[in-house]
Amino acid sequence: MSSQTTGTEVDLEAVNGGVEGDGGVEHGARLVAFTEAVMGDDEAALARERDALRAVLTPEAFVDAAAVIGAFNVVDRIADATGIPLDAGLAAMSGEVRQDLDLARFASSANTPGAS
Amino acid sequence: MVLVDYSAAGVPVRDDLTESHAGFLEHLRAPGSWWTGAERVAIAAESRHALTCALCRERKDALSPSAVRGEHDSLGALSEAVVDVIHRVRTDPARLSKAWFDGVMASDVSDGAYVEVIGVVTLLAGIDYTARALGAPPPTLPEPLPGEPSRHRPASAKPGVAWVPMIDVADADGAEADLYPKLPFVPNIMRALSLVPEQARALQRSSDAHYVAMADLSNPNARRDLDRLQIELVAARVSALNECFY
Repeated sequence: MSSQTTGTEVDLEAVNGGVEGDGGVEHGARLVAFTEAVMGDDEAALARERDALRAVLTPEAFVDAAAVIGAFNVVDRIADATGIPLDAGLAAMSGEVRQDLDLARFASSANTPGAS
Repeated sequence: MVLVDYSAAGVPVRDDLTESHAGFLEHLRAPGSWWTGAERVAIAAESRHALTCALCRERKDALSPSAVRGEHDSLGALSEAVVDVIHRVRTDPARLSKAWFDGVMASDVSDGAYVEVIGVVTLLAGIDYTARALGAPPPTLPEPLPGEPSRHRPASAKPGVAWVPMIDVADADGAEADLYPKLPFVPNIMRALSLVPEQARALQRSSDAHYVAMADLSNPNARRDLDRLQIELVAARVSALNECFY
């Protein structure tokens, strides 16, 4: 499964954590492992993944990664708590990707008519 | 003035991010539309307390959250219905349902008060996750400011699209004329909190500092020190772990 974005081939399964390697994204494996550690509750794993990511990114890029993790913990909660549907324009742009990733398996797809 | 210190992270944290967090905490401690400053800080404190709630942990492990009965481990400053909203949104947002929301609306919580709670809980969660990722302690909650809530309910907020009423882009005028950026497309997520306009503005400020500027959302070349693919990979992995369809 892959997608062409900005001319780069990306393995979308990286989003579901199902890819060995970087999935076509620079330092993709380290970014995914760090994200999973932040979202988990294993403090030793988090410290390890933080060190590993900081070893390959600039300090500024590491801060960006931390901030994006924060941002989508906001967005996801607001979307789920207010019952907003996916915008028609976004659905049209991302329909194939969403199908490939099987996002309709998530309960909140019920808020978008025809999605689940 | 609320100060935020991320020096424990051991990396320089850009000013706009730190200022965004300090700005939210300043916003948090002031009276809102439906809650006093003291109540808003209590909502924030309760949302952090939810992380140690035994009932939330048990529900998270259950096939369905409604299969587990019991009482939340609460700080005791807010009603049972509000505590349930706070704990559910903080710890298990993927399994919120329209039926659950309708139950909240049948309690002592108005739709405006609900939206304001959602704004406080979610924006604080974003700050706390950012601090955790950085390796720094989360910012201390501020002392509340005195005063009464404004009870401002924008007349242009209408029901129908989401569970909560929202202001359509075409209807944002008067006191809400500045609510949305002048863009051809404003996604529902930026409208979701518009029943409480100050919360929608706070979300936009937060999003600009943490992600990419609203104006750049549809620009695939927009980037920070991370490139756009790296940003979107992290964003999508978070949403997959949160089991969020949106």
